Amino acid sequence: MIKLKTENLTKSFLGLVAVNKISFSMEEGEILGIIGPNGAGKTTFINLISGIIMPTEGLIEYKGMDITYIPAHERARRGIARTYQLIHPLENLTLIENVMVGSIFAKGHSLKEARNKAEALCHELGLTGLDRDTSRLTILEVKKMEIARALANEPEVLFLDEVMAGLNADEMKDLIAIVQRVALERHLAVGVIEHVMGVIRELTHRVIVLEAGELIAEGKYEEVSNNPRVIEAYLGRGGV
Amino acid sequence: MNRNASRILAALFGVLAVTLPFFAGDYPLQVARNIMMYMALAITWDMLLRSGQISFGIAGLFGIGAYSAILSVIRAGMPAWFSILFAAIFSGVVAFVIGFLILRLRAMYFSIVTLALGEIFRIIIHNLHDFTGGPEGVVIQKGVIFGGNANSLYWLVLAGLAVALAASFWFEKSKIHFALTAIRNNEISAQSSGIDIFRWLLLAFVVTSAIQGLLGGIFVQSYGFATPDAVFSADFTLLPLAMALLGGVYSTTGPIFGAILLGLASEWLKLKIPYGHLVVYGIIIVIVILFMPQGLRQLVRRTSHSADGRSA
Amino acid sequence: MVMKRRTAIIAALSIAAAVVLILWKPTVLIYGLQAAGLYAAVAIPMGLVLGIVHIVNLAHGEFMMVAAYAAYFGCKALGMDPLLAIIPTAIVTAVFGWVIFQLTIRRALKAPELNQLILTFGLAIAFTQTINLIFTSQTYKIPLDYVSASMDIGDLTFGVWSFVFVAVAIIFAYGVKFFLTKTMTGKAAVAVGQNPRGAAIVGIDVYRTYGLVFALALALVGAMGALFLTKSAIFPSVGSPFTMKSFCLIAMAGIGNIPGILGASVLLGVSENFLRAFRPTRDWAEIVFFVLIIAVILARSLKGRKS
Repeated sequence: MIKLKTENLTKSFLGLVAVNKISFSMEEGEILGIIGPNGAGKTTFINLISGIIMPTEGLIEYKGMDITYIPAHERARRGIARTYQLIHPLENLTLIENVMVGSIFAKGHSLKEARNKAEALCHELGLTGLDRDTSRLTILEVKKMEIARALANEPEVLFLDEVMAGLNADEMKDLIAIVQRVALERHLAVGVIEHVMGVIRELTHRVIVLEAGELIAEGKYEEVSNNPRVIEAYLGRGGV
Repeated sequence: MNRNASRILAALFGVLAVTLPFFAGDYPLQVARNIMMYMALAITWDMLLRSGQISFGIAGLFGIGAYSAILSVIRAGMPAWFSILFAAIFSGVVAFVIGFLILRLRAMYFSIVTLALGEIFRIIIHNLHDFTGGPEGVVIQKGVIFGGNANSLYWLVLAGLAVALAASFWFEKSKIHFALTAIRNNEISAQSSGIDIFRWLLLAFVVTSAIQGLLGGIFVQSYGFATPDAVFSADFTLLPLAMALLGGVYSTTGPIFGAILLGLASEWLKLKIPYGHLVVYGIIIVIVILFMPQGLRQLVRRTSHSADGRSA
Repeated sequence: MVMKRRTAIIAALSIAAAVVLILWKPTVLIYGLQAAGLYAAVAIPMGLVLGIVHIVNLAHGEFMMVAAYAAYFGCKALGMDPLLAIIPTAIVTAVFGWVIFQLTIRRALKAPELNQLILTFGLAIAFTQTINLIFTSQTYKIPLDYVSASMDIGDLTFGVWSFVFVAVAIIFAYGVKFFLTKTMTGKAAVAVGQNPRGAAIVGIDVYRTYGLVFALALALVGAMGALFLTKSAIFPSVGSPFTMKSFCLIAMAGIGNIPGILGASVLLGVSENFLRAFRPTRDWAEIVFFVLIIAVILARSLKGRKS
């Protein structure tokens, strides 16, 4: 079943086109990789879907409903969650309180309920020491907390923006397993922006490739990685 | 341990506040009233600050409350106690309306617009001579609240402070705490957690403004007169701000201790230096911002932390 | 193209308004321009600081007040005309400003914007109250003959001395523009203003540049303090309104647009004097500025959201 789709989604900033007529869809239970060279418009694309910025043109549909212009907090309530590349833990709040926020506002739970749900969620992701100040967390714990914060919204669609950055190989393996498990158990549609191709290969069922704001290829990782246009997009900018 | 110490201290101040009229003379009672008034304003300023918005408009809403209370008594014959309630409602409604315009502004733009709005209120009151009495202001001729009894007036101000305290604890212990903290930290990720930023800012702005109006109402009722220069005085913005900064922001206890310290210090300085004793406020603001941006609470916490470290 | 048409419309409207005013109420235009000169001359240094150091200096008007007091007591002691005090006051104020910058503002440059706002707010209070403490709230004035010089055109008589502010404003605006575009130091300052990190990489000492720009701006403020003394009585809170007015004018012109401050000042000065010219509206002249600042900020925020 299709959870989310876009049609001709376009965003330009002062005449500069950052996302150009992207049409795509995501199915329930699917983990989709979103790759492309730096500046390809990947983060802008999920900013559009999560409602942080509004599109110049095009359509976003979630569970058959047009959500193109509804505000970001409303999309969060309906079930679109995401993490951020630059993670800002909420200062003055403990680890568990950080996780509670989504539960309180996206789902409208009472503080007590939210705490119970957050505890269960942290337990599921292997987070302990829940009353710690967020400044004392390790990188892996911060990443897990960010994922827990998004899952506290009880979403149906989840976007992860470079959650693996800064982790070592073992930690990545740990996090990949967690993402796969929560996606499977919750029947989530997951979109993953990632630069580490190993993670994309292992984690995703399907991949879309963006370059200069356009969708240039789509398919299984193996197919896409042999696509000459994709290779050129990466090599043309001097990176892999 | 630190938390307990500050609780005991707060309880002591509470007992002192409630028992003061039974043994203190007129002058200490007057000083205590002043301090409690500024303390309540400092708490309301901090409550909005918890969302990241710095208001320079306390005096504006305080003045609106003051004038709506005194004019409703003089022009409409409203009972004195009800006029204080009316002041709160009126200021809250004004805040609700202007909130729609200005709560989309951020940082210095928000601050400066609140300051400008306060000035606009003052000029309007100043110029509507026939209704407001113009620059000379208005005086309540008869029916001063509690017949001007000093003890009763003290209780009135204490009640105003209690309202501010109750609201502040409500903000700290409920969902509002999570909403405002998330907004202050990062508005974008707050939205992704389902927080309707504008709605929570509006709530905080209206509640704090209503309390500021209430305090304005209490202020004019206890003095029996209002002039634009007296009730829109910059002191009502400046002193609470300095008190909250000194004590430590984003809390209820910070403004309380800040108000007690600065209130007593300035009372003492006022006797020593009639002109320019406010210089102390300016210097305190500068020093606090430069050397201890989290106020005295930070200092206390640090020392208690290092003490814990040594004992462990 | 669209921009040009808009500029043309604005220019045509202002010329039409000016012609109407000359025929109908010439004094509104004359005093409006004189007020505009004063506003602009005080605002330009603040615009320079805001554009390059990115600090909203809420003590800006208070610096001018301190300079005016320094000029007053300097002149009294030496029996000097305030006009002769312009350069010495500029130098003294620049040094004073530089010291204050190093002691306070510099330490807050990396702090959140709101801390900077509160810091300079605190400085403003400290300055005003220190002067209050030393000199009380008494007013001081130096009586000067040439200030009351007037001119007659037909039935019309008006004071001419205040035109000096118009001249100074124009000199400041184009002087600052020249400094920023034609001198090495100025170009470096612009680079620092646009991209401090990039400027540091190419070897510009960012903090030194900030200090220099601040001192330079304060020199202009100091000069204005002495000049202000020729015309006006001084007292501790005399500078405060200029802080807000300057910020408003900069917000109207757009940060970084120094000559634009001149146009914004004319709008403010003329509208204030227009209201002052009629008995029923006289008392409301003061409100123009606050309404304008709110309108400008709201309009800019709306425009910002659209793009």
